[in-house]
Formats: sequence, structure tokens, C-alpha cells
Amino acid sequence: MTTISTEVLVIGGGATGAGVAWDAALRGFDVILVDRADLAEGTSGRFHGLLHSGGRYVVKDPVAADECVAENPILRRVIPDCIEDTGGLFVTTPEDDPAYGDQFLAGCQRAGLPTEEIGVDDALRMEPRLNPGIKRAFTVPDASIDAWKTVWSLARGAAQHGARVLTYHAVVALHKDGDAVTGARVRDELSGEELDIEAGFTLNASGAWAAQIVKLAGIEGIGVIPGKGIMIAMNHRLVNTVINRCTMPADGDILVPIRTVSVIGTTDMREADPDELPVTQAEVDQMLADGERLVPGLLQARALRVWAGVRPLWQDERSGEQATDTRDVSRTHAVVDHSARDGTRGLLTMSGGKLTTLRLMAQDLVDAMCKQQGEDRPCTTADVRPPGNEDGDLYTLGSRLRRREGTQQQEQLICECELIGRTKLEETMRRRGTQNLDDIRRSLRLGMGPCQGGFCIYRAAGILHGTGRLDGAQATASLTSFLSERWHGMWPILYGDQLRQARLDDWIFQGLLGVQHLPPANGDGRVEAPAQETVA
Amino acid sequence: MGITDKLSHSQHDHDPPDVLGDLMRGTLDHCVKCTICETFCPVANVTPLFPGPKTVGPQAERFRVRGEESQDHSLDYCSGCGVCTQVCPQGVHIAEINTQARAKLKERDGFSLRDRIIARPPLLGRAGTPAAPLVNKTLASRPLRLLGEKLIGVHHAAAVPTFAGRKFQGWAKKHQSPPATRRVAYFHGCGANWYEPVVGEKTVGLLEAIGCQVDVPRGQSCCGLPLQSNGQFDAARRYVRTMAKRLAPAARAGVDILGTSTSCTLMLKREAREILDLMEDPDLKVVSEHMYDICEYLVMLHDRGELALELQPLPMTVTYHAPCQQQGHGIGKPALELMALIPELTVIENDAVCCGVAGTYGIKVEKYEIAANVGRGLFDQIEDARPDLAVCDSETCRWHIEGSTGVRTVHPLEIIHRAAGLSSDAELRAPA
Amino acid sequence: MKPDVVVVGAGLAGLSAAVRLAEAGASVRVLAKGVGSTHLGAGTIDVLGYDADGGRVDRPLEALGGLPAEHPYGLVGRAGVSAAIEWFKGRMADGPRAPYAYVGDAEQNVLLPTAVGAVAPAGVVPETMVGGDLRGGGRVCVVGFRGLKDFFPALVADNLSRGPDGVTARGVELDLRPEGRADPNALAYARAFDDEGFRAEVVAQLVARVAPDELVAFPAVLGLVSPHEVWAEMEHRFGRAVFEIPTLPPSVPGIRVYTTLAQLLTRAGGRVVLNNVITGAERSGDRVRTLRVRVGLREVTYAPEWVVLATGGFSAGGLALDSSWVTHEVALGLPVAGAPAPGNERFGADYFGGQPMDRVGVRTDHEQRPVGEDGGRVVENVLVAGATLAGAAPWREKSGDGIALATGLRAAELITGDAAGHVGDVATAGA
Repeated sequence: MTTISTEVLVIGGGATGAGVAWDAALRGFDVILVDRADLAEGTSGRFHGLLHSGGRYVVKDPVAADECVAENPILRRVIPDCIEDTGGLFVTTPEDDPAYGDQFLAGCQRAGLPTEEIGVDDALRMEPRLNPGIKRAFTVPDASIDAWKTVWSLARGAAQHGARVLTYHAVVALHKDGDAVTGARVRDELSGEELDIEAGFTLNASGAWAAQIVKLAGIEGIGVIPGKGIMIAMNHRLVNTVINRCTMPADGDILVPIRTVSVIGTTDMREADPDELPVTQAEVDQMLADGERLVPGLLQARALRVWAGVRPLWQDERSGEQATDTRDVSRTHAVVDHSARDGTRGLLTMSGGKLTTLRLMAQDLVDAMCKQQGEDRPCTTADVRPPGNEDGDLYTLGSRLRRREGTQQQEQLICECELIGRTKLEETMRRRGTQNLDDIRRSLRLGMGPCQGGFCIYRAAGILHGTGRLDGAQATASLTSFLSERWHGMWPILYGDQLRQARLDDWIFQGLLGVQHLPPANGDGRVEAPAQETVA
Repeated sequence: MGITDKLSHSQHDHDPPDVLGDLMRGTLDHCVKCTICETFCPVANVTPLFPGPKTVGPQAERFRVRGEESQDHSLDYCSGCGVCTQVCPQGVHIAEINTQARAKLKERDGFSLRDRIIARPPLLGRAGTPAAPLVNKTLASRPLRLLGEKLIGVHHAAAVPTFAGRKFQGWAKKHQSPPATRRVAYFHGCGANWYEPVVGEKTVGLLEAIGCQVDVPRGQSCCGLPLQSNGQFDAARRYVRTMAKRLAPAARAGVDILGTSTSCTLMLKREAREILDLMEDPDLKVVSEHMYDICEYLVMLHDRGELALELQPLPMTVTYHAPCQQQGHGIGKPALELMALIPELTVIENDAVCCGVAGTYGIKVEKYEIAANVGRGLFDQIEDARPDLAVCDSETCRWHIEGSTGVRTVHPLEIIHRAAGLSSDAELRAPA
Repeated sequence: MKPDVVVVGAGLAGLSAAVRLAEAGASVRVLAKGVGSTHLGAGTIDVLGYDADGGRVDRPLEALGGLPAEHPYGLVGRAGVSAAIEWFKGRMADGPRAPYAYVGDAEQNVLLPTAVGAVAPAGVVPETMVGGDLRGGGRVCVVGFRGLKDFFPALVADNLSRGPDGVTARGVELDLRPEGRADPNALAYARAFDDEGFRAEVVAQLVARVAPDELVAFPAVLGLVSPHEVWAEMEHRFGRAVFEIPTLPPSVPGIRVYTTLAQLLTRAGGRVVLNNVITGAERSGDRVRTLRVRVGLREVTYAPEWVVLATGGFSAGGLALDSSWVTHEVALGLPVAGAPAPGNERFGADYFGGQPMDRVGVRTDHEQRPVGEDGGRVVENVLVAGATLAGAAPWREKSGDGIALATGLRAAELITGDAAGHVGDVATAGA
């Protein structure tokens, strides 16, 4: 059994965990970050992309609102390349109570959130597809944020400062020495081998899975209710500004333009298992209907993909918090001090929170750790840009188009929908060292455009095979697993144009290529261990 | 709902409703990346400088957002031939999306002097007509053309028409069309007005011969197509509105409007409404509903048994190329149907998507080679056929084909006119 | 023009029907929204590749009997399928690309490699592909081009080699980019292969690298204009079987089929008119009296004697499912069979498994007239052909071209009166 040591073990590679790893690494700690899957495959990778101005919380959840107001500009400063300044609108639809707008204004005022009520005509000029029946409109500094880019940027930054990022390493046990947590045993999901990590301190940033982790330390009475919400990505930007319904938080009340798509979200259903998040027809129908209310005609637009994300709804029997509706609980976060609560040292858990406050959450968690260790190391994440954000410019939608224009005469375009050139693809494959095309999809948005991989996934499989890292069986397995994975997000919204696309893709993969008739992988079905993944 | 009802109206919207506010752009949702448009694109097939209609159209459009500077200058290599929209099996208005995107690109980049000038045929017409002989000599002078290429950017070898030195409108003003029960209006276009008034005269003559009273509405200017193709949308709209105003009275009186420039008729029939967001302009709407390509109209009459035309044998061999814009009407090739009525005429149908010139595209110095390569297949076909004449419905195509092959190229109407005994062989073959 | 027959759809079904009709003397016009599925297909005519359980079919005509009752092949029968194949082979051999020809028949499938290295049954294939028949195994040198991102020889070879079919293969990549392009597609390579200079370069780079017993495989780019010449020259220069493997669209072999059929149609007096969209029809009794067609912003009407509806399935837009989960036949609003009612399962979670929506389409009687739920004929003078028909899952069975061709032809023959009594010789053909 191999053992590796570190000062800080961070469990969970979502926005929280990556942010924590970055923060701790900047403070000079030696860090290992583990996630049982790819980074940002949990909640972070499944949210709608809204970087909150705070307007959503000003009435119901002032603490959360204040946090957003403070953090929004900080993130724009430190990870500008992950953020598009779309601006936002709060609109009162015909179904909403116009009086809420006054509460909204008052709440914004209190929170110091810059907002302005504009005329309906101006709002419609800004966003011609908005429901012409809206009664009031307010501008806010919402933005859209690319969660994967954010998480990878933070993780790479941490790695540059010496951190080790181990994806596909699942925690199977937490080690204790007396009343202190001293590390964890993890299993490499790709090779099956286990290894021990000795850590001076363990930070549990695993979000919806946090309760499963703390149980490994023998801690009882903590639960995380998965609050499932579905989101649908529409094929193109129906709007270029974040649209919020000006009402108490409800289903389907946000439409976010994020990269090339617009995302309508979300619902709220309590599930039992954060890994079992079924998408139901009723939710899909409801979400489309909600979208139609914001943008009439949405029902005739093309839906690309549907997925479910999960809000971690913290439940602690000891503190008496009882969740009812996941939206009724404050969206702010809290550090769970197991030393105080359970007498267990060396372990802290982050509960609640949202992506907009990821930096603050990380700061609070690492601050709490430092306090317990008697370390005086201040947080610097508000002033340091992680890799990829060096030029300080906010992300613009046309940037990939501009880049492609520059390379058009030199290189092949592999994923046409999302404008990914061959050089970038091969470089990412090398850097990730992965056999899994879904990992590449998350890094680059490969196959996330209208054709959902119909043309590019064959090419990517061929290129991946050509890197020499995989044999035919592995490349095939990666291709078929991509197709199966993609199907999950497709079939519930398969109508209209997307069904047309799916049938064309079926013809390509099944009829023309015959992927389902390829011989299966040899041996016991396990894939060969790749060379050590590097995150740099 | 009974079967009867089901068969009597469409169940399914082929295009997004106007509530999405984006009639052309919204169709990008239908794109399934099938590559069919790129297969047919005449420009993408001859040069890598143009990445293809799917790429600059529905694909790139997802990356364009208001307020952001347009990123992709390769879009300007689109010739606007419109073939992509015609072949798209999903109903994406690709060419229209491209044209609109180009306008946004040009808004930022600005318009060159050249593009301002060549997109305004009336300007050129008014400038060149008074001193036509001198102007024509200049345009035929190679050294002066080389100079012109350097100064203005029109390729020295690009085919340019000769100024007639008079306006078709002048003739039309003096001409009295004999009264007849069937009334039509003639939309002559800039081509006939400044360069080929004989085509206009023949058109009026032929229509009168089949029993039409022909009205040539006064004050016709330019349909705005060159301005639209060059991305100058505001100016294009002004031209379109003016033209629509001139033609609307005839349309409102229920009189059909016929045009001999197939690209100009398409502009007023469809393109201006779709691309310039003038769908509901009342004058343009009624004009568009009454607008016909001349061959389209004559075939319509023929199908109804109302084409009163005696056609004499015409023992010659001609080639026929249907311009891309003619195909944009979606009416098949009515010129062929008409010429098939002429005894002893051998018509060889060319198999080419586009001649390359695409209006003003192919005369530009940076696009000339591309245009020449696009048209090469067509020119080879025509030369191999060694015809007496080449036939083509669009004037810029005619000039380009004649310039590249040396074969005299005429409008199908001129063939019909000859076969109807209204002109002689010599008149048919005479240069414009 | 006032055609006797309007064929809606310019795919294989529509074009075959139109050519058959025009060559029999009917005045035919093909109206289509755009170019059809030929450009996306493999360019082969697959009769039946896999049975209902996904098992490989060796003898398709025999296997027709095992198909579900409502399968479109039940409309044409074995004789209809064979006749359609022979007709197609004949027309291709007579076409502008002669002597480019199709080989094979509906009795026996060949086994051809795919662009990912699977081995799949195929029916009647171009001569440029038949050298790749891997029944009996063999050794193959799979040649690709670094510039062609739609074909990966190493992957093909790797997968072919580990299959159970006794094939050993290796991949070779040539770095030749036609026309100086950084990102050429299959069409660019096909144009290049039409040029003898390019061919010579390919041979020069390869001929010494090919082992004595290896077949040579290329992606399907062996010429657009003169595929026969290109392929024959390659075989001559390499002194062995050379063949092409269909890959991602644009399909060069498919384009050859389209242009051949379109030219045959024009020769016979017919025409394809694109950008014409059927929006509905007016009925008179049990016949369609006029077809309403949207052309640009205008609606025009046709009053044909007959209509052949060959608008394709969901991928072509002939059938559609809207956001309230109702299925439509788009052009004429004909009744659609097999669609789950809104609220019921339409798709299952397993991508590769059968789905409830698989076999949705328009059901017809044995004269290819659409029928309603009660099985009664809905209209007299509309015949349905191709992927619009209910009862098949062509991408799973590899049957799309066979269905299109056979039903397209039979529709034409039902109109001309030449249709023989093919029906009934397929065991599953219902009453």
C-alpha cells in the first residue's frame, strides 16, 4: 500500500474544493485534492452558470445577498476569463405581483446592490424576445460564469503552487488516530488500486456528498438532503442578459445566457441519493412552460440537453435545523466545526453555499483550519489571479470565433459546434492524460453544441487513439460510453430539432459506423492504467 | 380532428414564429450540421479562404452577440449566391443569416469607397451615361483598367458592361402601350435601364405581342440588392422603400409586375423582406406578392393555356445556365420550358451551381480569382458545346459569362422574341 | 409546368420513384425542401444487415421473413426488393458515371469494414467498395490522410484486427492535403483523386509500403466525377484489390448516386425543384386535388394526378415530434402510427437499446396508400415511400436504402400500372 503525505487533504473537486485547494496552496500549505470523478462533476458542473448579483436574495435572504454583493466584483477581478458580463434583468411577468418590485428595490438598496428600474420598452429593446407583457424591469450586475473553467483554473493554480490534484480517486475510508482525523484511504477508480493519504488536516468540501464523508469519521446525525433541480440548455442564446423573474424564488425563474446556450432553470425536488437524480417528464414540461413565460416561443426553439443538479441541503439533528423546502433555507454557507460538535479534530466540513461565494467559502474554511492549528496565514485569493486569467479581460462570447478565425488556414476544426481546433484538443488530451472523452468534454465543451457530438466524437476518438494512449478497445469504450452518457441528457427533451439531430447521429454512429457492433474490450473489461495524470 | 382537416392545413411550423423576433437567425436551430450546404457552396469548394456556409452561418451565429465586435472576417468571402439555403434539407436560412452577419461585420469595419460606388448602380449609371462612348473606351482600355484596379479595387479583367448612352426609361416614357385586357407592369431594373435598354424594349414588345398592355412605372431606381449584398443595410432599405413605392400602385390595382433581371425580382419578391426586416412593410408586401420573373410569368400563362404565341423554328444551338439567384426563386427552370416550345432549337442545359460573379462579388480585385475558379466548370461546358449563343437570366452573369468565354450571352426572353418573329438573327446576336 | 406526378422529397426514395416515373413517360416534378439523405448515407444499398435481435444477417432476402409484421418490406415482398436492386444497378450502369457500377444482390450480403473498424453487412455496393468484402478474413492496409479528420486509419485497423472476423489490419497515414487546404473534407479529397497528378503522388507514397498480401483501403474519396477510372487505376497500380470505406458526411458515394439520379431524371424530362415546402393539400372526396407549396414567401399550388410522399423520417423532417409530444407527418398531416401517446414513454434509458419511438411512421395498405387507425385508406392518390413509412428502424437494421429504393420504385409502378403482385411472398405481410 502506497502512502503519500500532505499537510492538507481536500475532499471534493468542485468549486468549493478547488477554491479551498487554491486558497490553501497560496498560503503555502502542501495540498492534495481528491475527487472520486472528474473535477466539477458534482453540483458545480451542473448548475446554470449564474454569477449572482445578489438580487435573487435581497428580499428573502439578506445575508446571502450581502455575500453576493461583496463577492461578485471580487470574482470579476480574479477570474475574469471565466466570467461574461451579461448583466441581468429582473422582470415582472404577467403572473407576478408588481408590488414585489418595490420590495426588491428596497432590498437592493439595503444591500448596496446597484440596480435601476428601466422602462418596459427599454427592456424589450435590450432583449427583444422577452415576454412583451412584462410590467416592470430592473437591471442588476448579474453575470454568467463558466464553472468548469473556474474549477480547472483554480486547480491548475493550486498545482502550480505545489498541490497534487487526484481526480478519479474516491475516498473509501477516513483514518483516525484517537480523536483526530489523520487522512484518508482512496481508491484509484481507473486502476482499482488503493493508496493512503496522510494529512495533517482534512477539509471536507464534498457538497452533496458531505454527509457520506463525515460518516466515515464515525460522525452521526448529519445529513445532506439532495435538492434536485433540473436545467435545460436551449441551443442558442435566446437572450444575452440574465433574466430573472421578479418574484419570490420559484421554479423556472432564471434564464441564463452562458457561452453559446441559454439555460432555463430550475426545479426543486427532494431526492434520496445525490447520485440518483432522475429527470422526470413532468419537470421537463414544467421547465419548458416556465421558459415560455419568460421568452414566448421558447417551446418552438431547440432544447439541447437536460440535466439535474443538486443543492446540498444541510440537515443537522443537533442544531435542530429542519429543512422543508430547499429554497426556504438560507443559501449562505457555514463551516461545520467537528471539533466543537463531535470532539473530532483535524476535520472541517463546508455546508451549504453557492458557487458565487466559492472564494468566501474557501476563505472561511481555510481560516477556520488555520485558527485551529494556530497558524497565522492570511488569505490572498481576493487579489491573485489563477492561471488562465492573466490578461484581466472578461470573457466574451466571440473569443472562440476570433481564435478560430486566426487559425483557420492552419489547422483542422474538430468540434465544429464549439469551435475546438485540433491543436487545442490534442494538447488537452495530453495534459489531462485521460482515456475518457467525457473528461475532455468537460474541459473544452467538446460535443456540447447542437450536434451533441454527432460529428466530433468520432473524430475525437480517432485523435485520442492516435495519441497512442489507448488501443482500439479503449478508444471504442470511450466513444460508446460518451454516447451513452450523452443520451441521458438527451432523451427527456428529445423533440423537434433535437430529435432530428439525434436521428441523424443515430444513423452516423449505429448505421454508418456500427459502433455497437464493435468487438468488446478484451480481458476483464478494465482499462489499462494511464500514465500519471498531470494537472499543470 | 378529422382527416379532412388534417390534410387542409399545415400541422407543423417549418420556421420559428415571429414572436422569437428573429425570422432568419432563429432558423439556425434547425441546423443538424449535415454538411450538405458546404457540399454545394461554390466558393468553399474552390477556396479555403471561405470556411463554408454552415460555418459562417448557423454555426458562427451562436457565437455572435449584440454589442460585441464581429470576429470572423472570412464571412466576407460569402458571395451571397444563396445556394446553401436552397439545398438545406432542414430549412435553415443560411444565406440570409450570412448576409445579415456580413452587414454587422461591415458596420464595424466600415465600407470602402469602392463598395459604396459599385453597390449603387444608379450612381454609376447617371455618371457614365452622358459620356458613354468615352466611358466605354476607358473601361475597355487595359492600362486604364489596371490603374482603376489600383485606385478603386475593381479587377482589371472583370467583365463590365458597356453603357448604352441612353436610358430605357427614356424610351419607355415615349412608348405608348396599346390598350389590352391583360395589364402588366414592367420592372426593368438597372441592367436594362443603363446598359441593355434593348432587352427592355424587347420585353415590352413581346408582352404586347401576346396581348398585354405594358405599363412601365415611372421613377424606378435600384432594387437595393447590391447594397444589401455589400452589407449596407440602411441604404439598401432606402432604395427598397423607394422602389416599392414606385411599384405598389400597380400591385394594389392587381396588376402583376414582371422583371427581366432575375436577381432583382428575387430581391423584391423575397430577399428584401427577409433580410432587411421589411416583412411587413405594406408597399413592399403588396409588390412582393405580385412580383414575377418574366419566364416564370410566361410559363404560368402557358400552363393556363393563355400564352398566345406563335413560335417559328430557330435552328441554332444554345446553352442555358440558370443563375443561382434564379434558382433562388424556387420555380424550376421556366426558361427551359419556354425554349422547349421553339422548334429546332437545341438547348444544352448547363450543370453549374453558380457562374461566380454573384453581382458585385466577382469584380472585386480580392474576389476575382475565386469567382473565376467558381465559374470555370461552367465556362468549360459552354466552350465545349460551341453554341451559337449562351443564355442566362441575370445580366451580371451574362456579362461575366460572355467576358470569360467570348460567347455572346443573351436573356432567354431574347430567344423567345426572335422565335416569335419579332426580331432578326442579326438583332439577336448583336452585342448589347 | 403542370406535372402529372409530384414527388415530395429528393432522397433515394423520391428520386428513384421520379426517375422510374419519368422514364415511363409520366411528367414528374420533384419538390423538396432541400437535398435528401443521399449525401449523408454510405452510398450502398443495404437491404437488411441485422435482424430484430441485432444479429448479423447473411442472406437478407431469406431474413425478410423474420421481420415484424408491419415492416415496410411487407409492402414490396422479396420479388419487389430484388427487382428494385436490379433496376438500380441498371440505372447506375447507364448513368453519367458509367462504367461506374454497383455489384451484388439482395440474396447475399457482403461484409465491409466501417470507418471505426467494425465489420458490417452491406447489400449492393459500388464496385469501388466490394474489394473490401471481408468474409473469409484477410489482411488490409488501411490508408488515411492526416488532413482528413473524418477517417482514422489506425483506429480502423486496430478495431478490425481485434474483431472475430479473421482480419488483420494496419493503418498508414499520408500527409497529402489537396488544394493547399488545412482542413479539407471528403469532397476535397475526392476532387483530388479525380486528378491524375494526385493519384500518382498517392501511389508513389504507398506502393512500396504495401505488403504483398494486403488489400488497400481508402476512405470513400475515390473520385467524384470519374470513380471508375480512379478505382481501376488504383487497382492497376497496386496490383491488388483496392476499395473505399464510407465515412462521415459529406458522402462522396452518396453524392454520386444523387447526381446520377438527378441527371437521369432531367434526361427523362423531369426536374428537382428545391426550396419548395409542402404546407398542405385540398381534398376532393378521397383524392388530393391540390397541393399547397410554399416557395419563398409565396404559396403556389399544384394539381397533380398523383403524389408520392417521400419526405423521410425524423432526421429528414418528414416526421416531427413537437414539444407537447405529439407526432406529425409534416407535409400532409397524414395519420402517424406507432407513436406513444403524450405522457407515455417515448425513449428508454439505454442508448443502444430499442426505443418505443423507433418504428413510428405512416402506415399504408399494400398499395402504399396511407391508412388511418382503423386500417382504412385515407386518400387515394397519395402514395408513401421511404423512411416516412412506419415499421422499420433503419439505422439499427441497416435497411434504409433498400426500403427507400424498393418502396419508391413500387410507388412509381403502382402509378404507372406496372406493379406486379409482389405482395404476399414475405411471410410477415399481414392481411
